[in-house]
Amino acid sequence: MMPKISVKNLNMAYDNYVIMRNLSFDVQQGEIFLIIGQSGCGKSTLLKYLLGLKRVSHKKIFYDGKDINSIINVHGFYGEKIGVLYQGGALWSSMTLAENVALPLETYTSLNGKEIEEIVALKLSLVGLKGFENFYPSQISGGMQKRAGLARAIALDPEILFFDEPSAGLDSVSAKRLDDLILELRESLGITVVIVTHDLASIFAIGTRAIYLDVESKTITATGTPHELLVSSNDKNVVAFLSRETKIVQS
Amino acid sequence: MTKIAELKLENKNIAIISISGTWSIYEKHPHAEEFIETILSKPSIQKVDLKFVDLKSWDSALINFLIHILDSCESKNLTINGDNVPSGIRRLIELSRTSPVRNTPPASQKKSTMFESIGCVGLLVFFNLRTFLGFVGKLLIGIVFFIGGKVKIRGREFAVVLQEVGVKALPIVFLISFLVGFIIAFVSVLQLSQFGANIYVANLVGISMMREMGCIMTGIIMSGRTGAAFAATIGTMMVNDEVDALQTAGFSIINFLALPRVIALTLMMPLLCIFSSFIGILGGLCAAISTTNLTIVRYCAQTANVVCLNDFFVGIIKSCFFGFFIAAIGCQKGLQCKRSAEDVGLTTTTAVVTSITAIIVMDAIFAVIFSLLEI
Repeated sequence: MMPKISVKNLNMAYDNYVIMRNLSFDVQQGEIFLIIGQSGCGKSTLLKYLLGLKRVSHKKIFYDGKDINSIINVHGFYGEKIGVLYQGGALWSSMTLAENVALPLETYTSLNGKEIEEIVALKLSLVGLKGFENFYPSQISGGMQKRAGLARAIALDPEILFFDEPSAGLDSVSAKRLDDLILELRESLGITVVIVTHDLASIFAIGTRAIYLDVESKTITATGTPHELLVSSNDKNVVAFLSRETKIVQS
Repeated sequence: MTKIAELKLENKNIAIISISGTWSIYEKHPHAEEFIETILSKPSIQKVDLKFVDLKSWDSALINFLIHILDSCESKNLTINGDNVPSGIRRLIELSRTSPVRNTPPASQKKSTMFESIGCVGLLVFFNLRTFLGFVGKLLIGIVFFIGGKVKIRGREFAVVLQEVGVKALPIVFLISFLVGFIIAFVSVLQLSQFGANIYVANLVGISMMREMGCIMTGIIMSGRTGAAFAATIGTMMVNDEVDALQTAGFSIINFLALPRVIALTLMMPLLCIFSSFIGILGGLCAAISTTNLTIVRYCAQTANVVCLNDFFVGIIKSCFFGFFIAAIGCQKGLQCKRSAEDVGLTTTTAVVTSITAIIVMDAIFAVIFSLLEI
């Protein structure tokens, strides 16, 4: 089966400083794929490459077998097929929550105002924000902003959902609820999910496959399910990373 | 005062550093360099013994002292006996020494020569100008598409921007323009009254406000007020990933963020300029009638006689360009903002300075063009 996302020998650099080299991995349809590693290893930068926010040379990143450079439109990425939840939610501050969720619907669909309103209410209720339609991002808490960001990310029922540190800044109950929601979306809509994280509680709870970006060797040093990485990885950094967090989870 | 660190030589091969008392970063404490110097000045010393006698309390001052001693001794292959080191101190030292060192490239230390610096500044100006012209090009394409109906801007947001850059700017434009007109008239009266030519105050105020001061003062006000606001707003959006969110949602940041602002300010600037010019003339009138024997009717009639339609349109044309460039510079600088609060401040400052400089330069260019066209 053709992978949903395919990365081949990608090198990431900041100015002339190489962050990661020779990154190659595939993300299959319907997976919850995790990009893990220590802070500062380049996880979020890799996400930017995957989202087309950082330009790459040809034949490095493929979506459904097509080169990212051929599907990126003049404005940016092909927005209707992907949804992104950024670390802080990244809601458009001049718009209400309803307007934030409605904007992609207004842009990419031919739904009328009433239908859009109904879908907005549905998406906001999915993330537990029913009744907050007319609030501005500055009027709600950080956790709520994140949930509203998720409502916006799933507004168009995208094929792929990207998460940048989804549990950062959330309490354990909210983080668990977000994990459940991700699983639910994957199960019900068959969405492919790519998550950048170092929250191992989430990794073991929802991840189907993970890659570990090693800051020392500057490449992927382990690939597999989170449990495979923990049990059978020969890389001491991977084991140290996962086992430390596992102890916390178990305790 | 008792010394909290002392160096003794047990024999010619062994140095003993005795550590005692209270070590605090808030109090004066010995520096490791003096001890290291003494130890290294005696080549016969092969071993350094650390002894802790009656150590009352300690903090980072002692840890730092010991790390210096250990590093220097180890680099000279001296044996260190640290059996006596309290466990807390030992753990902290081990922790600091086992911390992984990230292999990041060192910051460039090279000091550039004067010519290199001039060259770097030249290149920076060139690249900035090139980037800005590219941005202006995209804006112009956006405007053409907008006029052709291919690009839509959100009506409610556009109305908010129009209100922000138009109606809400009226009070400050009123104040500044009135005072500028008043000052021009006041200074003119002082000079012209010596020749009995007070009536010409109306000429000076009328022409200068219509052709130059109206649009320049409005431009400067809008640079500081609106251009800065555009840069800060978009800069903050960059910091909060809002711009990335727009891009990944497939929106054109030019059409979505810059276009409404640029169109709004380009439309509002001529209106503000007209308002500013008339208020400036009003300021001049107030100064003239309060300091000379001129009447309101005479002053107005004289202004109407000398200020022609050309002067009026010169101001309007210039203000359109000023409005376009103030908004374009504000938006472009905002989009160049990096990811910290400090960068937002820097971006805002740069936007204001660049806009004001651009206004003055453009005004000079317009002066030459209008002079050649005899307008």
